Amino acid sequence: MTTVVDDDLWSAVGDPTRRRLLDLLLADGVATATSLSEHLPVSRQAVAKHLVVLDRVGLVHASSVGREKQFRVDQAQLARAVEQLTEVGAAWDTRLRRIKRLAETIQRGKDAQKTDDDK
Amino acid sequence: MEHGTIEREIFIEASTEVVFDVVSSPEHLREWWPDEAELSGVPGEAGRIGFGDLSEGGDVTWVQFTVVDAVPPRHFSFRWTHDEGETPGPHNSLLVVFELEPAGTGTRLRMTESGFRERDWDEAKAAAQHAEHVTGWDYFLPRLSVYAPKVGAGA
Repeated sequence: MTTVVDDDLWSAVGDPTRRRLLDLLLADGVATATSLSEHLPVSRQAVAKHLVVLDRVGLVHASSVGREKQFRVDQAQLARAVEQLTEVGAAWDTRLRRIKRLAETIQRGKDAQKTDDDK
Repeated sequence: MEHGTIEREIFIEASTEVVFDVVSSPEHLREWWPDEAELSGVPGEAGRIGFGDLSEGGDVTWVQFTVVDAVPPRHFSFRWTHDEGETPGPHNSLLVVFELEPAGTGTRLRMTESGFRERDWDEAKAAAQHAEHVTGWDYFLPRLSVYAPKVGAGA
C-alpha cells in the first residue's frame, strides 16, 4: 500500500542521523555500516539499524560483497522524498514572504498614522 | 513517531501584535493564503479555507481548518486537511505552528508544519497548487497595493 510506504518514507528522512547517513552515502557512492560509523558519533550497530530503516523504504539498497554488506542510495526514491519536502517548503516560503510584506506594510501604515497624530 | 516537518524562520519589521493579526485573522489570512477563510479563531471550532473562484457558480475547493491554540501575540497554531466533521488530530491532518518573538524593532516569526503523510500531502499540495496558481505574485502584488493604504488609513 503506497500510503504506508510513504508514511515510512517521511519517518525515514525525518531522522537527522539517517539524513547524515544519506549525505555520506551520496558523497562516497557505496559504504558499509563500519565505514559509515567512522564518520558518525554512533556505533556500528546503531548505523546498521538506521540502514535497515532506509533499506525498508527503498532509500538505500544493499549488496553483499565480501564479508560486510555494501549500501548505496536509490537516487530515484531519494529524489521523490526530497521533491515532496521541497514543494511543500516552497509553498510556505511564498506564504511567509506575503506575511512579511503584509505585516510590514501595516506597520508602516500605523507608524505614519502615529506621526500624523503627533503633529 | 517521526513525521516530515517543514521549519522556517523569518524576521519581520513589524510588532508582534501586527504579525499575530496577519497570521491569524481571516481577513488577513485571505491576503496571504486562501481566497476565502471562514473561521472564528476559537480553538477547537471547525472552520474552513477555500481556494478558487469565489464568484457565483465558481469552482471553490474547501479545506477544513481548525484553530488549535491562539495566545496573542505569541502563538497561533492550527490543523488543516482533515475531513469535514472529523476531529483533527495527528492521524488525519497537518499541524501548523506560528511562534512570534519580539526581536529588535520587529518580530522573529517561526513556522513549523508537521504531520506529512502521503494523503495529507496530496491534499496540501493540491490546495497549495490551486492557491499558487490563482494567487501568484502577479495577482497578489496589484491586490496588495490597493489593500495596504486601506489598512494604513484604518489603523
